[in-house]
Amino acid sequence: MKKRIITFVLALAFSLILFVQAVPVMAEHTKDASYIYDFWGNANQSLSAFQLATVIDGNSMGDGLDLSSVKDVFVYNNEEIYIVDSVAGRVNIFDTEFNFLSSIRIIRNEEGKIVVSEETNKQMLLSSPEGVYVTDECIYIADTGNDRVLVLERDTHALVREITKPATMVGDSLFKPSKIAVDHSGRIFIVVQNSTEGIIELNSDGSFSRYYGVNSPTVNLLDYFWRSIASDEQKETMAKVYAPAFSNLHVDHEGFVYAVTLDTASKEMVFRFNSNGENVLRKFGYSEQLGDLPAPMDDSFAMSTFTDVAVNDFGVYAILDTVKNRVFVYNFDGNLLSIFGGAGSTKGTFSNPTSIAWMGNDLIIGDENLSSAFVFKTTDFGDLILAAEEKYYTGDFEAAAMLYQDAVDMNANYDHAYVSIGKNLLMQDDYEQSMYYFRLGNDKTYYSTAFMGYRNLIIQKYFIVFAVVVLAFIWWVISGEIKYNKQQRKLEEL
Amino acid sequence: MKKFLNDFKYLTHVIFHPFDGFYEVRFRGMGNYALVAIIFLLSGLLNVVAYQYTGFIMNNNPLYGMNSVTTFIFGLFPYLLFAISNWSMTAIFEGSGKFLDILTVLAYALFPKLITDLVVIIFSNVVTAEEAMILTAIQMIGLVWFCFLVFSGLCVIHEYGAGRNLAMIVATFVAAIVIIFLATLYVTLVEKALTFFTDFATEFARR
Repeated sequence: MKKRIITFVLALAFSLILFVQAVPVMAEHTKDASYIYDFWGNANQSLSAFQLATVIDGNSMGDGLDLSSVKDVFVYNNEEIYIVDSVAGRVNIFDTEFNFLSSIRIIRNEEGKIVVSEETNKQMLLSSPEGVYVTDECIYIADTGNDRVLVLERDTHALVREITKPATMVGDSLFKPSKIAVDHSGRIFIVVQNSTEGIIELNSDGSFSRYYGVNSPTVNLLDYFWRSIASDEQKETMAKVYAPAFSNLHVDHEGFVYAVTLDTASKEMVFRFNSNGENVLRKFGYSEQLGDLPAPMDDSFAMSTFTDVAVNDFGVYAILDTVKNRVFVYNFDGNLLSIFGGAGSTKGTFSNPTSIAWMGNDLIIGDENLSSAFVFKTTDFGDLILAAEEKYYTGDFEAAAMLYQDAVDMNANYDHAYVSIGKNLLMQDDYEQSMYYFRLGNDKTYYSTAFMGYRNLIIQKYFIVFAVVVLAFIWWVISGEIKYNKQQRKLEEL
Repeated sequence: MKKFLNDFKYLTHVIFHPFDGFYEVRFRGMGNYALVAIIFLLSGLLNVVAYQYTGFIMNNNPLYGMNSVTTFIFGLFPYLLFAISNWSMTAIFEGSGKFLDILTVLAYALFPKLITDLVVIIFSNVVTAEEAMILTAIQMIGLVWFCFLVFSGLCVIHEYGAGRNLAMIVATFVAAIVIIFLATLYVTLVEKALTFFTDFATEFARR
């Protein structure tokens, strides 16, 4: 009787399992379902690496002040957050606990007096600024409405100098600085929206140096054909193909300039310029850095366009898409790490995102329509993958491999980790295991290297067999020749 | 059975001496339709095998989405399409080859390609990425050989000169495109008609 009851209970328990629904994978504390692209361009389920933690909005501001729009976010040295409010014409400064520190609107000089313009006899104010960059000494503000760049002292916010259009500047571009970045040697890079000539590079004293960075448009084959047969008069009426404009830029810790573009006619969407202005972005991921990839048979697909880029100390960069309002995080090699965000008005989605910045491992995303900056913190999975990238970037491959293994344990679709684990095994000459991982990660180049090592081991192990086979073959050929010659000689003798 | 073996032996002669060989096959009864069927079958099977068993380094197929039946059919479909369109064009332009002759030429021409493909499949499992180029070269040899055999075979069976034959092959490709276009059109129209009738029936049933 007792046995029957146990059987009954067990049967009931097992039958209940049938009613348990499959639950999609989710990271802790978030209900966002994330996805990632694999080798074949399929969008597979992935774990969220970032989740919304805090919102900086009007409530975070000091008394009597409001946040009207967020045009740019900059994080100085993981100490201060600078948020550009272009509607109110302010640059607001917060500490890392998101407490309001101060706000720049009226420009003062070293004595604390309001600067008065000599020509117009008016106070010097910010007018719809769109960008800010902070170095150890100075704050650079792209004062777009006044066609100038203001350089302020970082501690006192006193005016150091005002950079207007350099007298020696050539080209058709307007000097309407929108986004700004400064490298270690003080060179100033300025993006003017819709400028087709590239990034404006100024010397540290504010004089014009050159246009920096080349961006080439893709040319439609059909257009090319029509253009080639058109007469000069016809060509004049045709729409001109302009070089796509850059929308934003960022200088990484090595002095390389990262830039993105909003123009889908551009051949590349993300750039990493060396000092010659050549794109040296590493592209070793499964696909190019294009954001969303087209699904087969998807007619409504629109290519992602990017409005901002943020790079952290170990080469992981996040690009902000304005089509689906998503953030794509790539590592130094160009592997896609994570995708999050989206269009909407719920928590964790954006309405009109304009800017992105790293603060440590957190990402701060500014939204112009929602007049707030969203702080995204890493999930457990996000911590793991960023730690792995940091270890990998600094050359601690073994520790990186362990972290990648943990990441894969949490998320089996995180394919590029397999390749990294395989690389580490390959360095330890564990060919067979590394082949297994390269196969999982679909990396043919490294698989080939591992396979060569593996094949050599096999040949060494069964050397006798191979030697016998080869010798037997040689013997077969030679003896055949000898036999043939003997026969010929016999025939000749006859 | 003895005839079959003899004809197979003759096939190995044909692939090295196509002009003489195809003449014998076409006009002196050295061909074998059973052999033709077997070669096509093997070629289709080899397509399926190549899809799955080509070594990882040379295999660019998404194995998770493999469908043996479609691979088999789509492997053989081009030959059938070529045969039909070539036959329909040459029948108009005084070609003397029959439909089965064209199929025979295609099958016999496939034989060396079958062997090179098999070699590539086997050796692709033991090569590195650098050595894979050699296998690609072997594959190319098989392909060029196949094209040459088809060309010479069609010359012989249709009793064409080289220039005429080349023009007919170009016409064949045009005809193939037209056939595909018409087939698509037909399928779409039939589908539309069927949806109309099913819609009509459901509408009627729900009144």
